[in-house]
Amino acid sequence: MYRINTYSRIFLQYFLGFLTFAITTGILYLLRDYLDTPLIALLFLLPVGINTAFWGLGPGILSALSAFLGFNYFFIQPYFTFAVHQSSDLIVLVVFLIVAVVISQLVGRAQAGLAAAKAREREATKLYELSIALAGVQDDHAIVRIIAEEIIQSFKSERVELTAKSHVKAQKIEFSLPVESAPLSRKPEWRIPLQTARGLLGEIRLWRADTTLHPAEKQLLHTFASQGAMALERAWLTQTETRAKVLEESDHLKSALLSSVSHELRSPLATIKASITSLRSGDVQWSSSAREDLLASVDDETDHLNRLVGNLLDMSRIESGALKPQRQWNLLSEIIGGVISRMRKATEQHRLDVNLPEDLPLVPVDYVQMEQVFDNLISNSLKYAPPNTTIHISANRQDDGTLLVTVSNQGPHVPQEHLDRIFDKFYRVTDADRVTGTGLGLSICKGIIAAHGGRIWAENLPDGFAFNFTIPLTLDGAPPPSLPVESETI
Amino acid sequence: MSTAPHILVIDDEPQILRALRTILTEKKFRVTTASRGEEGLALAASTPPDIVILDLGLPDISGIEVCARLREWTQIPIIILSVRDGEKDKVSALDKGADDYLTKPFGIEELLARVRVALRHSAQLQGGKETVVKAGELVIDLARHVVKRGAMEVKLTATEFKLLAYLAANTGRVLTHRSILTHVWGPADADHTEYLRVYMRQLRRKLEVDPERPQHILTEPGVGYRFIADE
Repeated sequence: MYRINTYSRIFLQYFLGFLTFAITTGILYLLRDYLDTPLIALLFLLPVGINTAFWGLGPGILSALSAFLGFNYFFIQPYFTFAVHQSSDLIVLVVFLIVAVVISQLVGRAQAGLAAAKAREREATKLYELSIALAGVQDDHAIVRIIAEEIIQSFKSERVELTAKSHVKAQKIEFSLPVESAPLSRKPEWRIPLQTARGLLGEIRLWRADTTLHPAEKQLLHTFASQGAMALERAWLTQTETRAKVLEESDHLKSALLSSVSHELRSPLATIKASITSLRSGDVQWSSSAREDLLASVDDETDHLNRLVGNLLDMSRIESGALKPQRQWNLLSEIIGGVISRMRKATEQHRLDVNLPEDLPLVPVDYVQMEQVFDNLISNSLKYAPPNTTIHISANRQDDGTLLVTVSNQGPHVPQEHLDRIFDKFYRVTDADRVTGTGLGLSICKGIIAAHGGRIWAENLPDGFAFNFTIPLTLDGAPPPSLPVESETI
Repeated sequence: MSTAPHILVIDDEPQILRALRTILTEKKFRVTTASRGEEGLALAASTPPDIVILDLGLPDISGIEVCARLREWTQIPIIILSVRDGEKDKVSALDKGADDYLTKPFGIEELLARVRVALRHSAQLQGGKETVVKAGELVIDLARHVVKRGAMEVKLTATEFKLLAYLAANTGRVLTHRSILTHVWGPADADHTEYLRVYMRQLRRKLEVDPERPQHILTEPGVGYRFIADE
């Protein structure tokens, strides 16, 4: 269909070119008594110029030749013959032919230049649109879709199919437009490879009834293909770079973990090994109090090791997103009470002051995880607060429906710029040698509180240091339940 | 008891088996060991022990399954060993009929205490139940529904007494949330741990010297509660 249209268009152009010439000839013939020959020759240049300008070089040349013949036939004596009697008329005719052909050529060339410029402009616009559409797109599926859309818009085609290798696990991406159209039975008229430095990425297949493509269009199609290939390549490079960065970061963390862990694991092991080997060696008769001391330190150090391993496990669980709180309605006083009872030995040198309002509602938390938060916050306070000072624990219902819990101590301030970072893994304000621990306790707290939908932060107080955290007081949208209280006794 | 109690230990770690055999033999127990679940089940069937110590992480079948299959034919006490953070497995093993649990690593005194409680409990099941439970200055008369703290009678509500009676009848043993809720409130309320939290607080306020640091009604984090008679 397109093909017929093209031929009929060309035919129409020539026809119109000839018509212009015929009308001009008719008018001039009617006026021939009033016009002299050179003027007629001049006026005959008019259709030549018009035709070339409007219909192109072919119709222009046609009208130039027609004008030459028509001029000779109708206006040069003897009329109605192609014979020429006067030599001056012959010169006029020849000059006319040369001028007509030159004009038509000049105008035609200008026309062609204009058309080429317009095509270039169109091409540039389309390329611009394509590059704008592709800018910043990192998803290769999106890139393939954009290329297909731009191609089907720019090249009037029945169907476009794109295939490309995805960089994710060498998957194959396929996309075709119009969407939901059945594949055509015939082979595509155009196949353009998507070629990059890494090799062949895929292919553009174009079904287009009009098999002829202007060289400019052909070039545009190839430019689209190379732009698309470049975009896919860029997406691949970006992802590779991101992956490399993530790997590098996790590598860095792993080495920090390893150095921290090996240091932390080795010191209790050293104590255990030293104590046990001393007790086993037959050289010394240990007094019963010395024996007791050595055994107590072995006992303490195994507990310490157990805590370390637990912390590491928790951290890896938080990192992998496997830490899912089993939230249930709990009493904060019971949780804190349990932790304090268990830490009785560790808290001997400090005073603990728990201040919970009598009407504190039930809190929707994971009992075990919340115990761990308090355990870690209290342990941290014990580490830094001087002996014989008080650690305060308080909780209050906030106006926004959350619970604010504060664990404060009379320990030293933490520089303002470190306040956020103390919740980072392995982050220490002081030298690692001064205080023991994996550097994981606070980041575990942060992970647990975040999994509960709350927030944790630290602040310097005028006379100490405080950890604060919030916990939403709703569980699946439900507020704390109030239970019917039995008053009747048996 | 005329003969030493017979303990079957099922655990796949040779170090633990070695240590437990040495320690428990020293404490005058007869000890048999198995390193796989099926082996343990076969041993338990051929020479029934007085108590089973069972690790939950076995190479062939899960400890929970061993628990369930033992319970098909015997009520011998089962103490399970689990790792930290294994609350879910712990609770499901307890709900499947295990009597108590210990978290690795554990102190040997803890293990011996659990063993003693379990043996006493199984002896009680065979003999008659004690009707009066003494815990420090608390005296709980289960038959007469009377609770005294020292010389003073403590007034409890019906639910509070039912709860305390269930705890005291299982002195020393861990009771899961589900088992307490089912027993005291009924199966329909088996998931309402908040009832437990609130009623336990009330009980502690009436019975404990320092309700925030209880001596008798102990919380087993993530698992349940345990009533302890001796301080």
